[in-house]
Amino acid sequence: MLKHWWKILGAVLMIYAIAAGMLVPLSPASHYVDNQRAETGQQLELTVTGYNTHYFSEEGAIRAWLRRDSAFSLCADNVSVLSERLLKLSFTIPARVYDKDEAVRFSLVVDNKKDGYSVLPEAVVVTQMPSRALIPPTCDIQDLNDGEYAFTFPFRNILEETIRNLYYHVPLWFAMILLFLISMIHSIRYLSSSELSHSIKAAEYVRVGVVYGLLGLLTGAIWAKHTWGSYWNWDLRQITAAIAMLIYLAYFVLRDSFDDEERKARLGAVFNIFAFAALIPLMFVIPRLSDSLHPGAGGNPAFGTNDLDNTMRMVFYPAIIGFMLVGVWMSQLLYRMALIKEKIIDRMD
Amino acid sequence: MTALGSVPALIKKEFLLEWRQKYALGGIMLYVFSTIFVVYLSFVEIGPRAWNALFWIIILFASVNAITKSFIQENSTRQIYYYSLASPLAVIFSKIIYNQFLLLILSGIAFAFFALVAGNPVKDTGLFLLTTFLGSTGFSITFTFISAIAAKANNSATLMAIMSFPVIFPILMTLIKLTAGSLFLIQDSEYWRDIVILLSIDIILITLVYLLFPYLWRD
Repeated sequence: MLKHWWKILGAVLMIYAIAAGMLVPLSPASHYVDNQRAETGQQLELTVTGYNTHYFSEEGAIRAWLRRDSAFSLCADNVSVLSERLLKLSFTIPARVYDKDEAVRFSLVVDNKKDGYSVLPEAVVVTQMPSRALIPPTCDIQDLNDGEYAFTFPFRNILEETIRNLYYHVPLWFAMILLFLISMIHSIRYLSSSELSHSIKAAEYVRVGVVYGLLGLLTGAIWAKHTWGSYWNWDLRQITAAIAMLIYLAYFVLRDSFDDEERKARLGAVFNIFAFAALIPLMFVIPRLSDSLHPGAGGNPAFGTNDLDNTMRMVFYPAIIGFMLVGVWMSQLLYRMALIKEKIIDRMD
Repeated sequence: MTALGSVPALIKKEFLLEWRQKYALGGIMLYVFSTIFVVYLSFVEIGPRAWNALFWIIILFASVNAITKSFIQENSTRQIYYYSLASPLAVIFSKIIYNQFLLLILSGIAFAFFALVAGNPVKDTGLFLLTTFLGSTGFSITFTFISAIAAKANNSATLMAIMSFPVIFPILMTLIKLTAGSLFLIQDSEYWRDIVILLSIDIILITLVYLLFPYLWRD
């Protein structure tokens, strides 16, 4: 039992990642506004749609601001609640809000005790009409609440509920790289020792790695549908990931082309090492050079530490370890199955 | 360096062999001509963007066709004879160098013929020549090595295609991007970065060939 601790750990972490990743709610936030354009000197009426919010139960305690930057913001004159998820705000936009006569973007800040505050970036674009008036004194944003929901994932526009995909899509790719790496090490050990067990292990690690990679492509496609608009975008990341899969599928075709076990193992090992060397530029270099919508392209970091808050870290890091451990476990099971299959065939002969 | 001392003699052997089997060389040339012809007839108007993609696709398929035969054209007993005369590394390096020479000639002819029928959009000739040189190096190393693996199997033509196309993709992507720079399709002041990538891919590949071929050749 003691020597299997890592298998138990892997299974527990994976179940935890699936349960916590799926069940933890998103933090309450203002989702979108109906009226996105305004001019100076106008009365602006905004209907705000919230996500997971509790406007109704907090009626009377809701405050809202339109924020230009740290130097200037406007307070809402009137806040009326239509339902738990709908809020009507009215603002009096003064004759002058900006030094130059051009459009200026305001973010919307909504705050109440239960939900905490939320920011909707670039919610309203106000066009500064020519005017001799001066910018009125700012109505400061203050006493913001943190909300009563401590254990939530952040609400991000565009991502919305798909932010949970981070706990599956990214760990799948990390674990795939690890499995391919272990496989390559077994191939090197096969070439130096000529022990067939290393060759079988290498093949089984690649098998699980390919399954992980295909699941990574699938979760990526689901994410692409929500954020980019279609399942397959011909995005550089998607192309290189698919090509990495093709390389490793070719590995199996190569192995299956030989009946002789020794040849199968030797040529498979040579191609496996070659394939891993081709994988590195494919996964880590090429996607960073060209335009892609995927994070990590065109010089962006793959994901910054800013993209994760503490709650997400509590699920994300265990998910990575869990997927890796379960992947190694599955490969070892497949290896043992292959050994048993061989023994049965030997006995039948 | 005694191990690689027989490389010049082996390269000479490759040339002689090619010269005696002129049909193979002629076949490749005809392949290039007819592909360009078909491409021209189906496109008629070839813009610089299409020119770039088509040029490299023609080179890609012609190289696969030219290099696949590297280890198949001579029967296995004669190959064992070579391996007993010279070191296996000398054999593969001579084939890589010979194939690179072949690819450079092939690219030159393809370029000349393609420029004749579809016009020559190349603006930065130096960059284009450098790209072609680095590209043919990468193609030659990859395809020669893969053909050495594929030659061991019965279905070598299929294996050659499915193993080499995905592996060549990073090189091909970088080549098309660099060529786009030499056609002034994109403004890229940092093309040296792509050149460094191509060079490092070539160096990694040749190192792998050096390390892995000793396990590959014997049967």
